[in-house]
Amino acid sequence: MPRDHGPTVVGQPQIVVRGVTRIFHQGPVEVHALRGVDLDIAVGEFCGLAGPSGSGKTTLLNIIGGLDRPTAGWVDVAGHRVTDLDRGDAAEFRLDHVGFIFQAYNLVPVLSAFENAEFTLLLRGVPAGERRAIVEPLLARVGLVDEADRKPHELSGGQQQRVAVVRALATSPDIVLADEPTANLDSATSEGLLDMMAELNRDLGTTFLFSSHDPVVIDRVQRLIRLRDGLVADDGAGVAVGPAAAP
Amino acid sequence: MLWRIAWRNLWRHRGRTLVMTSAVALTYALMLVSMGIGDDSHRRMLDEAARAAGGEVIVHAQGYWDTRASDLVIRNADHVMQQVAAVPGVRAVMPRILVTGLLSTSSGTEAVLLQGVDSAAEAPLHDPAEDLVAGTFLSGPETDPIVLGAGLVEQLDLELGDRLVLTTSDPNGDVTRALFHLSGIIRTGSRQADEALAYTSIPALRGAVGMQGMLTQVGVLGEPGQGPGALADSIDTAVAGGQPLEVLPWQKAVPEMVGFTQLDDAFGYVYMIVIFLVVLFSITNTFLMAVLERVRELGLLSALGLRGRRVARLLLAETTLMTVLAMTAGFSLGLAAHFAAAHWGIPLSAWGLKEVEISGIDMADLVIHSEIRPVKWAVGSALVAFATVASSLYPAWRASRLAPAEAMRFFE
Repeated sequence: MPRDHGPTVVGQPQIVVRGVTRIFHQGPVEVHALRGVDLDIAVGEFCGLAGPSGSGKTTLLNIIGGLDRPTAGWVDVAGHRVTDLDRGDAAEFRLDHVGFIFQAYNLVPVLSAFENAEFTLLLRGVPAGERRAIVEPLLARVGLVDEADRKPHELSGGQQQRVAVVRALATSPDIVLADEPTANLDSATSEGLLDMMAELNRDLGTTFLFSSHDPVVIDRVQRLIRLRDGLVADDGAGVAVGPAAAP
Repeated sequence: MLWRIAWRNLWRHRGRTLVMTSAVALTYALMLVSMGIGDDSHRRMLDEAARAAGGEVIVHAQGYWDTRASDLVIRNADHVMQQVAAVPGVRAVMPRILVTGLLSTSSGTEAVLLQGVDSAAEAPLHDPAEDLVAGTFLSGPETDPIVLGAGLVEQLDLELGDRLVLTTSDPNGDVTRALFHLSGIIRTGSRQADEALAYTSIPALRGAVGMQGMLTQVGVLGEPGQGPGALADSIDTAVAGGQPLEVLPWQKAVPEMVGFTQLDDAFGYVYMIVIFLVVLFSITNTFLMAVLERVRELGLLSALGLRGRRVARLLLAETTLMTVLAMTAGFSLGLAAHFAAAHWGIPLSAWGLKEVEISGIDMADLVIHSEIRPVKWAVGSALVAFATVASSLYPAWRASRLAPAEAMRFFE
């Protein structure tokens, strides 16, 4: 069931990252993906993680979203110590608090656009009527009402990402984590998708955190955090890098 | 939703699903057909053995069955017959005198097992008159009738009404001779039986070998559902106190046949287990492949908040649906084969089974049908269902352990 967040207070910390280190072992080689990241992201921020490939963007998103655990350090999201959760509780946490948008292969291939959009609501046990009441307006908002019954392979890349956005927002999560959401889209589609997410951020007050090296994304976020070699190289906290709302 | 996803996943690889489903269906159908035919053939063999032994329970003088000695006879036969007939659960009592000897004519001499029977009493077990091809079965006016197997008649070059001399020994061990007239010819279908069997009436044989008031064997049939073992125990108790008698359920009387059916059952089970293991391993392998193919997708489900056990349940739901499909098809196929076998029958001789005799029963004579033993079919089906679903437990466990970040990182 979508939760009522109450009034959104921008500035209140929604994501707190402290000393997060992540080391991957590839055979005898240790790969330091993150080397002690500290970060605060406030409620309602429209925020981007930028940096070259291998800088640790996806790893940081995964750790914030409870998909991965750090080698050291901790992360709080909406008051929950994500890094202390076991595998099952982390899944529960993601379902209740996080909306994910991935780069590709974002949808369940055997489900229609509507079924994909309502999937997380269904996992939370929301009744069918209520699911429809939540998902249909969101699909209408992203212009996919007529494509609701189509399977992912019958949708364009942009349409698939829009379905993923609806799915991410359907449960009214505290945060939406989007990992390279425009990587497989042309610039016009990317612009449209970002417009839509900015609009939803403004209207619903949902915190968005992107990882991207797409200039279209970088130009549109309120705050841009640059990662380099697993460390925060530049944090534009409080500085509006670009317009958050639709132009 | 899980079931909906599972069902649709099943048909993402239609060919693979059909191959797996067909493998389980055919194996299951084969198992049902094997059980049906096996059970029917064993029942027929055992019925035949019981018929040949002379009843579901047979009573003799102590030691007769092992030695077949002519002096080991039931002396106070009428009294024993009454005692046996009074035992609860006894449906029919069949007196017999069994004599081995030589039958001589002007054309030659042949060894024979001559059975003195009461044809009316024998009817519940098997009416020998059904095999009659010429003459009468001990129902004519003759006082010394004899009915011979067709093979014996040919060997001795006899015609109805011809005279024969039986040479045998009486219960005192003295050699005795008696004259009989050929009154009937039977053809049982078993060459061995037709070359050795001979019947006469109990009064005629008693007169011939001096066994007034005596019998060699009392055969017993129980009421339906009456186990031969329990019936034998009851009869043993009823006849205790008089002449020492042996009371044998037919399974003890023809242990070779019982052993054969048990061995055949055991081989059948081993055969089915081996086939099933092959099928189950291939299902496990296929589902493992399916998990590997869908690592990113399963990782996505987990990332969206599906707990590991629900991911496992999704895989198990796919196997369950496939099992239901396979078993429905397999059951239909097995049932159709069962009805075909039950209707038309399969002669064992058609399988090249010739000259095979177990406990005196010629296997080549048997025509096998099929019978359903509901409990056995139900247990077999439950085991197939369980084993098939269980074969995906390991792949499901593997799927449940997928770390979403790893799954989505390395399998893009």
